[in-house]
Amino acid sequence: MFAAILVNGLVLSGIYGMLALGFALTYGVARILNLAHTAFYMVAAYALFFFLGWTGFAGAALLGVLVVLLLALAAYGLLLEPLREHEATVLIVTIALALLLQEVVLLLFGGHFRSVPALLPGYVEVLGVRVAQQALLALGFAAAVLLAAWALLKGTRLGLGIRAAAQDQEAAELVGISLSRAGYWAVGLGALLAALAGLAVAPMATLEPHMWNPPLLVVLAAVVLGGLGSLPGALSGALVLAFAEVLVVNLVPGGAFLRTAVALFIMVLVLVARPEGLFGVGFAEER
Amino acid sequence: MTGPLRVWSLPWIFLYLRHEVLALPGRSVALLFVLFLLVLPLFTQDPYWLRVLTLTAIFALYAASWDLLSGYTGQVSLGHAFFFGLSGYVSAILGRELGLPPWLTVPLGASLAALAGVFVGLPSLRVRGPYLSLVTLAFPIIALGLIFVFPKITGGELGLSGLPRLGQSRLQEYYIVVFTFLLSTLFLWKLGGSRIGLFLHAIREGEVAVRMVGVNTVRYKLLAFGASAFFAGLAGGLHAHFLRVVGPDSLSVFNSIQPIVWSVFGGLATIYGPVAGTFLLFPLLEFLRVVEEVRMVAFAFLILLVMRFLPQGVVRGVLDRLEETCPRCKVRNAFTRRRCRACGVELRLPEKEVVA
Amino acid sequence: MLRISMSKWLTLGGLAVLTSLAWAQTLRIGVVGPMAFVQGAHMWYGATLAAEEINRAGGIQVGDRRYRIELLRVDTNEMLSVTDAATAVERAITAQRVDFLVGGFRSEAVLAMTEVAADYKRIFIITGAGLDGILAGRVDRNYERFKYLFRVSPNRSSDLARTSLLLLGEVVQAVRQQLGIPRPKVAILAERAAWADPLVETATRLIAAPPPQGYGAEVAGTWRPSAVATDVTSELTAIQRAGAQVIYTVLSGPVGVPFGRDWGRLRIPAAPVGINVEAQQETWLKATDNLGNYVATLSSLAPGVAITPKTIPFITSFQARFKEFPIYTASGAYGALYVLADALNRAGTLDVEAVVKALEATDLVGPSGRIVFDKTHDVTWGPGFTTGLGVQWVGNRMQAFWPRNWRVGDKVISYAGVRPYQLPPWVVEAWRR
Repeated sequence: MFAAILVNGLVLSGIYGMLALGFALTYGVARILNLAHTAFYMVAAYALFFFLGWTGFAGAALLGVLVVLLLALAAYGLLLEPLREHEATVLIVTIALALLLQEVVLLLFGGHFRSVPALLPGYVEVLGVRVAQQALLALGFAAAVLLAAWALLKGTRLGLGIRAAAQDQEAAELVGISLSRAGYWAVGLGALLAALAGLAVAPMATLEPHMWNPPLLVVLAAVVLGGLGSLPGALSGALVLAFAEVLVVNLVPGGAFLRTAVALFIMVLVLVARPEGLFGVGFAEER
Repeated sequence: MTGPLRVWSLPWIFLYLRHEVLALPGRSVALLFVLFLLVLPLFTQDPYWLRVLTLTAIFALYAASWDLLSGYTGQVSLGHAFFFGLSGYVSAILGRELGLPPWLTVPLGASLAALAGVFVGLPSLRVRGPYLSLVTLAFPIIALGLIFVFPKITGGELGLSGLPRLGQSRLQEYYIVVFTFLLSTLFLWKLGGSRIGLFLHAIREGEVAVRMVGVNTVRYKLLAFGASAFFAGLAGGLHAHFLRVVGPDSLSVFNSIQPIVWSVFGGLATIYGPVAGTFLLFPLLEFLRVVEEVRMVAFAFLILLVMRFLPQGVVRGVLDRLEETCPRCKVRNAFTRRRCRACGVELRLPEKEVVA
Repeated sequence: MLRISMSKWLTLGGLAVLTSLAWAQTLRIGVVGPMAFVQGAHMWYGATLAAEEINRAGGIQVGDRRYRIELLRVDTNEMLSVTDAATAVERAITAQRVDFLVGGFRSEAVLAMTEVAADYKRIFIITGAGLDGILAGRVDRNYERFKYLFRVSPNRSSDLARTSLLLLGEVVQAVRQQLGIPRPKVAILAERAAWADPLVETATRLIAAPPPQGYGAEVAGTWRPSAVATDVTSELTAIQRAGAQVIYTVLSGPVGVPFGRDWGRLRIPAAPVGINVEAQQETWLKATDNLGNYVATLSSLAPGVAITPKTIPFITSFQARFKEFPIYTASGAYGALYVLADALNRAGTLDVEAVVKALEATDLVGPSGRIVFDKTHDVTWGPGFTTGLGVQWVGNRMQAFWPRNWRVGDKVISYAGVRPYQLPPWVVEAWRR
């Protein structure tokens, strides 16, 4: 049982981690709680499904990522950036965007469940637990993506600029970092991460127009749990919640349906104990 | 006039109407709106339209309650459906177990929702901003889980049905709902404009500053949660008894998102904003049934478009074009006026004359 | 010349008036459902097929008038909002002036929709929502208000349960005989929903009870995922560790698809059987990435199986017209229209009270079985009535395995085209000692 928890928990953490990191980037730099984040993830999965009818996996994946990037940058440029001061309006706009994407997907593909064929069919036994090979591939992919994102953020000037803008917007501007450009980069990277998560998960998930709902709740909880604005926090939050879900399902089989409720409950508890989340960056009051 | 002017006398009412209400386009529209709601059944008693307006009034109250909490105090609630649904369930269960009529069970349900509101507000003492919003999100989801754990009491995924009616006929139900809505909205508006409302605005702008002045912000924040939850619960109870059914759908994420959309669309922290937003959007969504396939797409697209160009809300956006504030005495004037109606100062500078 | 022309014109004119009078009467039937989803779309298709057939045959004869059917498509959006669905029904009744209602899929929404129908005393024949409580507790306790509600498909949940338990018995028997395991272990995987609770209880008792009352097997454990779960690998690995040979599934929500896919991918050595509504659709294999073979579930229809003489003609014309295999809401809506036509015919009047009485006396053969309503206006379950089929996906095709030599009293029921149940090969391999 321990092995099952460990393996399933790790796989789930990888996926939630990618989503949470992208979300945290968008919030940390552009200060946008992008509730359409998982909708982008859904669009990437559907785009992959669509383009697989024309080209191979690599080509379809590339096209899918491009579609999502264009969508995200266009949405940011046309809708979100002009409305930056009105936080509540931005929230609604992202909600409306997510709804719009959901309905468009419903119109184009119908409400049936679709699936994307797995790159690696079959399963392996790891520590006595059967794991789908595709799941291991997704985990490996998630690890690679996260490492690459880490390298970008810590090792390049662009990454430095993004982290600076996430930590303190005014100071970053004073030092000469263009907040607008950092915003675009952050939104682009966030959308890229969401799209990559969509590509990784698509062969394992079922595609349907409401598939963006459950991950959104978990991502929100993970990012808040870890501390908004903190990138390692987002990853830790994803890890905690993924394992919490897997623990619930394994230890309380009759309560498997409670996995989301338990995850959110944990989030509430942690927040009450530590109001800024585990690694929270307390934002200086921005005037 | 010869004698002293008594308040609430007929001449006073006329004068009030002429100088305070009809002087401004915004207030005139509000008056017309109230009259329209009250007088509509004299022109049509089509049950479908009465139904649409009844539901709109219920949801407008729901949106206004959200605005009190999230617009005024800035504590954005992403789980307001918790109060809406909880009250509906409580009202249904009380009616079933104790046989009480709706005019008792609905306020009781709303009161329980108010208590729940204070409970949900407790984390707000430690947690702020977006963190608090996500805490509020957790409550309806946990409630949904509990519903499935106790299906005998809550009816599980089917819900409870056969709830007693609000009134004997559709017309009676309409008036009961409309009166409740108008009175509650009036109360909320007065609350928003009162000293308490001022504190709520201040808490949104800078809680630390308010605390420094010696105000007990805890009390006001919890008051906002409780009052907001009460009216959301009132709306939820009315909704349940109107549909005669209450179920897990009333706790859905979509139901939490609706008041947010309506309020922001209309204009935050105004009370009349959410009301206007709901009365614009909800009937529009009904009307869009004629293009059933693209109904939701059109709806979402419309919201995006309007929000892009009127980010402070439709009502604010429109009012800002129709009204102006006097630079000296800060009283609002219709845009057609040249001089302020209270202090007489010129509202706009005259055109520069060309001096040869 | 003029006189002959005059009489010709008069005859033509008279004929025109007569035919227009004959066709002037229409009955408006509203098909209410989630039209963006397959369940609603198939309701519309099934109703359209029936309406066209009935109209081609001359319409419905009610008393001395003939009526043709006019169908109205009402998208209730019930998956998103119950309030919306109830308003859609009220609009259909008042603004669109439908005389009868057919449809309904999401049980919670149907509960609200039927309140509206009952207010207006409109007959509402349910074709998609299965929960008992939609009719039970309402038609029996408050007959005067709810007598206008009927359900043609599916069987109510508690009856579906009975079929699914019979299917479970088949598979347990197969495990016993083909694998030589005297006491097979059965894992129960039921979505967390109130309708599944009594099933879980009954199954638990039935499985452990010794034959002939029970199956003489062992319950390996009970897992309750959410109906909208997208990943059940944790549950499946736990089931595998528990050593189960059979998985009794009680899944009506979207979770059916991830179940099939993950089960097939991980080759869990346990045979799934029970209720898996997603596996009833022809898109099952595509949705499960072709891993859903050998999954067994109950279903209303299966290709090539003639439940009644009307089954194959219905499936053939449906597939020819709409290029899809019909699901239960399609056969339900089709049956509902014929039931309505038959009842109107027998009542001889449009008076709703008489039509209700006529509906209660229905005894009609539809594509999925013989339709007779019981005292809560549900379709009667049992041999010779409507029970559904047990189907299994084999070789990328859906085939039926039950009822095959189903013994009830002194009757033995078997439908033509039913083949024996097949255990998944990896299950056989894993357990054959």
